[in-house]
Amino acid sequence: MTQSPTGLTAEVRRVLRFVISELWPKGPLLTPFNLISVPVILLGIGILAVRFVYGLGSVTNLSQKYPWGIWIGFDVVTGVAFAGGAYVLTFVVYVMGLEKYHPIVRATVLNGLLAYVFYAGALVLDLGRPWNVINPIIGNSFGYNSVLFLVSWHFMLYMLTEMLEFSPAVAEWLGLKRLRNILNSLTLGAVIFGVTLSMLHQSGLGALFLMAKPKIHPLWYTEFIPILFLVSSVYSGLSMVILEGTISHRVFSNQLDAAKHHQFDAMLLGLGKGAAITMFVYYFFKLLVFLHERHWNLLGSGWGVWYLVEVLGCVLVPCVLFISAVRTRSTGLLRVAAVWALFGILLNRLNISVIAFNWQSPVHYYPSWQEIVVTLTVVFTEIWVFRWIVVRMPVLREAHELPRGGSSVARATV
Amino acid sequence: METYTYVNIFETKGLEYLLLISFLVLFVILVRYLSTPARKR
Repeated sequence: MTQSPTGLTAEVRRVLRFVISELWPKGPLLTPFNLISVPVILLGIGILAVRFVYGLGSVTNLSQKYPWGIWIGFDVVTGVAFAGGAYVLTFVVYVMGLEKYHPIVRATVLNGLLAYVFYAGALVLDLGRPWNVINPIIGNSFGYNSVLFLVSWHFMLYMLTEMLEFSPAVAEWLGLKRLRNILNSLTLGAVIFGVTLSMLHQSGLGALFLMAKPKIHPLWYTEFIPILFLVSSVYSGLSMVILEGTISHRVFSNQLDAAKHHQFDAMLLGLGKGAAITMFVYYFFKLLVFLHERHWNLLGSGWGVWYLVEVLGCVLVPCVLFISAVRTRSTGLLRVAAVWALFGILLNRLNISVIAFNWQSPVHYYPSWQEIVVTLTVVFTEIWVFRWIVVRMPVLREAHELPRGGSSVARATV
Repeated sequence: METYTYVNIFETKGLEYLLLISFLVLFVILVRYLSTPARKR
């Protein structure tokens, strides 16, 4: 059935009016999170203005010796690993058919999408000539042999894929049922494409460090970094889904009925089981690489102790915690394990990209306070956008629960 | 007559093979352990 031009214009007007009405804040503005995040974001915007006018050196401790700091080490390298939950969960639900996890797919995809938009987007902040970011896309000096070329294309394509995966929720929010059905039919293809892209660029981020062999401490450098990055992104993503899901279910609890709350605990335990098994595999990979490289003599040094803290303290210990939580069906312990595992990922990525990078250099890099504020700005802005979308669109709640045109029912809203 | 030769487990990558075999065994045990529900106290 086709729509007449007059009907189409009326529909466009209705959608526009609805979107404008949704822009206004809904709920209290003076919440603890807002009071903390708003000043940080405003300060961050000011620092970024200085950075783009006067250059990287004006606000960062980066140098020719240390061209990559926490904007790359945390925002990009760690942020993308944290976003791994989207490709893992969409594979589990749409390809393996485990419908049990369907209720959390949209929130996870949204989290992944925003993580890529903000964390991978933060890459632009770190480029000395940010306007050149378009070069890999428009074909100006294609670097076919460069890992960065692969990563940049993958980031862009994966963001588009995740937008497509999330688009049915936007169509439902706008009350466009026919468009929703069309977008829904594209989901499976988008998921398969997205999983392929993710597996390649999660390992590709690790491959970026292969060229830095003389700079990375031998305990962290291995030619298997890409595989380690890929495997760790699986349990990192699952841990992030556990943490983010827990917070979302508390903050937006009024969007869920009692049955969904009960179902959520069972889902968390299933995710914990997946995380435990993947961490076990990752731990053995680390052990195998260590035996293969034969670096026994390095364990006696301070770097060796730091390495053991990462591998034993932040991989083996949370793995055991995950196993124990699944066996005892303790969701509290599961959350502790998830936070611990995420800390381990953060430590691993920072060790490779910042801490154990240029380890022999007499001068070491420490982030400036401006770099830390900008990192917090990126994180807080992502949370603001996430909250704005969850409050308005059918992310946690079912679409049929919404009246046409949508309405917000959440308490913690803006 | 051949004399006794000491096989270095590091040189032959024997340790890596042993680790892989232990991994495979432990992996099966772990998956079974996580799949069976814990006994109620």
